Amino acid sequence: MMLEAKDLSKTYFSDGVDYQALRNVDVTIAKGECIAIVGKSGSGKSTLMHLLACLDAPTDGTVYFDGGDTSSLTEKQKNKLRNEKFGFVFQQFFLNGRDTVLENVVLPMRIRGSSNSRIAADAADALDSVGLADKTHKKAKDLSGGEKQRVCIARAIVGRPQVIFADEPTGNLDSHTGAAVEEMLFGLNRNNGITLVIVTHDDELAQKCDRIIEMKDGRIVAEHKQESAAL
Amino acid sequence: MKTWDLIRTANRNLFRNKLRTFLTVMAIFVGSFTLTMTNGLGDGMRNYVESQVKSIEGDRVILVHKKIDKPVGGPNAGAPEEYKESSDEDKKNDFDPNSFLVTVPQMEEAVRGIDGVKGVTPRYSPVGEYITLDGAKKYKLELGVLSEGITQKTEVGKTINGADQIVIPLGLAREFDANIANLVGKTATIAFKSADGSIKTIPLEIVGVATKGFQTNYNSFVDVMTARRIYASQRHDDGADKFLGFTVQMETSDEAKVAAAKKQLSERGFEGDTIADVQKRTYDAIGIFKTGMNLFAMVALLAASFGIINTLVIAVLERTKEIGLQKALGMGRGRIFAIFSLESVLIGFWGALLGTVAGILVGLAANKVLITAYAKSFEGFTLFVFTLPSIAIVMALVCGIAFVAGVMPAIRASRLNPIESLRYE
Repeated sequence: MMLEAKDLSKTYFSDGVDYQALRNVDVTIAKGECIAIVGKSGSGKSTLMHLLACLDAPTDGTVYFDGGDTSSLTEKQKNKLRNEKFGFVFQQFFLNGRDTVLENVVLPMRIRGSSNSRIAADAADALDSVGLADKTHKKAKDLSGGEKQRVCIARAIVGRPQVIFADEPTGNLDSHTGAAVEEMLFGLNRNNGITLVIVTHDDELAQKCDRIIEMKDGRIVAEHKQESAAL
Repeated sequence: MKTWDLIRTANRNLFRNKLRTFLTVMAIFVGSFTLTMTNGLGDGMRNYVESQVKSIEGDRVILVHKKIDKPVGGPNAGAPEEYKESSDEDKKNDFDPNSFLVTVPQMEEAVRGIDGVKGVTPRYSPVGEYITLDGAKKYKLELGVLSEGITQKTEVGKTINGADQIVIPLGLAREFDANIANLVGKTATIAFKSADGSIKTIPLEIVGVATKGFQTNYNSFVDVMTARRIYASQRHDDGADKFLGFTVQMETSDEAKVAAAKKQLSERGFEGDTIADVQKRTYDAIGIFKTGMNLFAMVALLAASFGIINTLVIAVLERTKEIGLQKALGMGRGRIFAIFSLESVLIGFWGALLGTVAGILVGLAANKVLITAYAKSFEGFTLFVFTLPSIAIVMALVCGIAFVAGVMPAIRASRLNPIESLRYE
């Protein structure tokens, strides 16, 4: 198993009120799988993704990555895990508009401390695979929405991760550019064997994944396995 | 992230908001500029005073005078006192200026048995009348005595090293001859008033022209033998010779022995100072002055450091999402802290660099103006002196202050929660 969550619970404490965002959730995600987590806002789907991605620590339960218990990792080890094994694509892009496309893409490599020649080569590969090689030195703010999300995908794959977490990747895009981004993500899953975890409330997008986990009130209420992934 | 990448990132972040960075740098600039100026002024004064004080040297000599018991002691010393018709009994308590005076036997008694003492010389106080080179043109003579063991720095010639010699001040020498080197070896005649009121003269060899200094600006210095001769002729015959003080010649310049001799003298009721002691007191006064001025500059820097804090706190808020992303992508707290600290130190560095460069330029320009305006009265005086170590200290200090100012915002940035930061609006 690539990712495994056992009896996962998350409670937020704010203003003296406990809010249980996740209640005793069990999930297993196989290597190379493409999975969609769906549900309304407040259903706990984002919280589940954050816990799986080690961005947050569960109140109860355990997340295993590649068979290893992540709760025993130090903050440094978790940072290293996220940096080297995970890629992230967010709905709001989180690009640095004043920096060039290249600078945005290489951020994970810089954080990792890779050599300059390695960074240059991997960044070129990543930008090539999202079809933005010609925009390398453009400022990120001058790109269209679809191009921005493709830069984000390049940033997610530049470090050659095993899992990509995509949080509403097409949420800010029109259907046409959204489709291109989807195609790109599924392509990475199919051709490069990258495990894909997509959080979305877009049913159409979810239907294209291998498996759909439906969430409500912090619990998994249904799981659908697709016979064969679309496209 | 590599160190170089951190510096590059920090620098790029600063350039993102050029105006804000510039304004913050300007605040630091003002502080650094002020500190450079006050420091330069302090060093300039110190250098001047040092050159003046150092015109007299001697590390084997102790200048001694009698300790005086203050006539009125206790907590009310110096307080206004109501006048009363005094009886003889009260008069005992009044201050007697003669109680300062010491006789030669008392001097010899004072140093008896003290290790390393070679001899004592009474402090003669001869009074001069005039000095002349050709007998026609006479100049008023201010007389000083150079005890054995004390030397003078000279522009030309050398210090006194025998009998019937005189070292004249630079100003007087220039009156005698524009080329002061011509004077060395010539004979000057000095005149003094003897006890009976008649003017007597003695010929003395000019051995040197003194370098300017507090004691040597106006005084002509003669050797002890000559001084004794003049003093003897001026003394009214009213009992034993009494002097205001004396000098103790030591066989060695060994500091421990000199200190021991001072201690023994103190136990016997005398106070001794070496020339170094006197100089140190002057330097200490300058040091206090310099510290005081620097404190004003530090106030400016303190104000500027709040500017840095403000700038960085705003930057942390502005870049909350960016920090969230960096953390999500695996950047550790230490690196986040380092980036903000570096930004802070870079602001300090640029401010310090501009401030010191501007300070030095203004200081050097001021020196030029002052030299043309006051050259005569303050020969050898450079108002602002800039030395590499003191500039380096200013730069390091400003960068240090900037770093400290950046600590709070940097810690705030490093502690941000990645998920909350990514959601920050």
